[in-house]
Amino acid sequence: MTQTPQDLPGWAHDAMLAVLARADTERLKAFAEPLIAQLPEIKVLENRTGLVMLPMRDTAQGTHFHLGEILMSEARITAGNQLGYGMRRGRDLEAAMAMALVDLAAALGVAADACVRFLDAEARAQAQADHDTLCRVEATRVDMETF
Amino acid sequence: MAYVATRGGERAIEQSQRLFRAEMGAITPERVAEIRSAMPYLIDRVMGEASLYDEDLAALALAQTGGELYEAILLLRAWRTTQPRLTVADPVTQDSLFTHRRISAAFKDIPGGQVLGPTLDYAHRILATDVLSGQTYHPDPVDPAPQPSPARQPSVAAWQAENGLLAKSLPDATTGNDIPDITREPLLFPAKRAHTLQSLARAETGGVLALGYAAQRGYGQAHPTVNELRLAEADVVVQHPRGTRFSAGRVKVSQAEVVSKQGSELGLGFAATLGWNEVKVIAAATLDLNAAGAPKGSATEEEFFLYHTEGVESSGFCIHFKLPHYVTFQSSLDAMRDAKAKRAAKDKQPEPAE
Repeated sequence: MTQTPQDLPGWAHDAMLAVLARADTERLKAFAEPLIAQLPEIKVLENRTGLVMLPMRDTAQGTHFHLGEILMSEARITAGNQLGYGMRRGRDLEAAMAMALVDLAAALGVAADACVRFLDAEARAQAQADHDTLCRVEATRVDMETF
Repeated sequence: MAYVATRGGERAIEQSQRLFRAEMGAITPERVAEIRSAMPYLIDRVMGEASLYDEDLAALALAQTGGELYEAILLLRAWRTTQPRLTVADPVTQDSLFTHRRISAAFKDIPGGQVLGPTLDYAHRILATDVLSGQTYHPDPVDPAPQPSPARQPSVAAWQAENGLLAKSLPDATTGNDIPDITREPLLFPAKRAHTLQSLARAETGGVLALGYAAQRGYGQAHPTVNELRLAEADVVVQHPRGTRFSAGRVKVSQAEVVSKQGSELGLGFAATLGWNEVKVIAAATLDLNAAGAPKGSATEEEFFLYHTEGVESSGFCIHFKLPHYVTFQSSLDAMRDAKAKRAAKDKQPEPAE
C-alpha cells in the first residue's frame, strides 16, 4: 500500500467500521454492490467464515479468560493499492464483502459523499434502536425501600 | 474397562435414525427462524454451553435434534471444529457492557442504580391455557421511560474496592492467544483461573445449578449474596489490518458476582457466560466463591465441579453405558458364577469328624 488510506469526512475509521459491522444487512448489500463499478479492479484475498474468541476480565481477581467463540464472516479485498476489510457477526459472506467494499471505497475516496450519507443514516438508525432499548430498560429502574 | 467391536444392526441403526427424525418432520428455514425468534433464552443456553455464539446455528441444532439439548450442543461443538479461528477479540470489561439488567442483592443504592430489565422474577406463574383454546396471547407492551437508562454502568466491585470492602483486583497483561484456553490445552489441577472461568462459562447449566445449589444449601463454606448480576451486550472488538480497533458487533453475555464475608474482608466469586442465563452464572459464581480450600471430593472442590459440569463429556459418558458392554458384563457374570461355585464347593465339604 503506497498511498495513505483516506478517512471519510466526519468519520473516524473505527466509528465507520463499527457502524458497517452492525448495519442492516440488506441495506448494506444494496448500497455496496453499485460501488464495484466505481472501484478499480478488485482482488479478493479472503472471504470466509471463522471464529473470534471473546475474552472477558474477571472482576474478582482481574484474570482474563475466554467466554467462548463467535461465528463471524470476514472479507479482505484490495484495489488501487488500498485494502478493504469487513468482519460481521454470522455466516453471511456477502455482507462481509459488502462491508469490505465500503471500507475500500472510503480508503480510496470513491463515492465519499454517498458513503457518508449511508453511514449517517445507518448510525442514526442504530442510535435510535439503542435509545429505544434503553428507554424500555429505564422503565424497569427500581428504587428500593427498606423497612 | 474393556471394549469389544460389534457388527450387525446396520439396517436397524439406519431405521432408528429415520424414526427419530420422522418425529420432527421437515426442517425448514422458517422453522429455524421461528425457533430463533420464539425461544431466545433456550438459544442463549445452547450457545453458552456450546461455547459458540450464533443464533441461527443454535436454532438449527435445536431443530435438527428436536430439542435434545445434549445432542444439539454436541452438534455445535463438533461444527465449531470445522472453523478456523480468525482472531481473539479484546477482553470485555464490566463497565463497557451495554447493560439491559443490573441488580444487586447486597446494596440497594449501588452507583448507577438498579434496573430490573427483562425478567419474570416477580411474575405470577400462570399458564396461558387460553392459547390452547384458540386465543392468541399478546403481551402488554412496555411503557418506555422518557429518558434512556445509561448504556454503560460502573462496576460495583470497583466501588467496593475503593471503599475498602474488597481487595482490588490486579491488572492482567495477558491477551490474545496467550490467554489460557481449554479448547487447546488440557485442564490440569490445580487449574489456572482462566481455565476455571472458561470451563464454567461453557458448563452445563443443570450440572452447575445442582452443585451450586448444594453449596448454597450448606454443603459449601460460604453463603452467597448476589453482589451484582448483569445481563448485557458486549462489543466484539477486533483489529482491522490497518491497525484500527473496532467493534465487529455485539453479543449477549451474563455475569454474576456473589459475595460473602471472609474474615475481615469480603470474598468475591465470579462467573460469566455467553448468552443470557442468570441461574447458571449465579450458581457458577457460588462455586467459584467456595472453591478455595474446599475438601477433596466435595461439590465445591474445583476438580469435582469442573469435571462434572462439562456437559458433552458427562452426557457422553452417561449414554455410553447403553452401548454394547457384552465382554465386560460377561466378565462380571463369570466372576459372580465363579464366586458362587467356590462358595457351593466350600459348603459341600463335610464337617470334620469330631
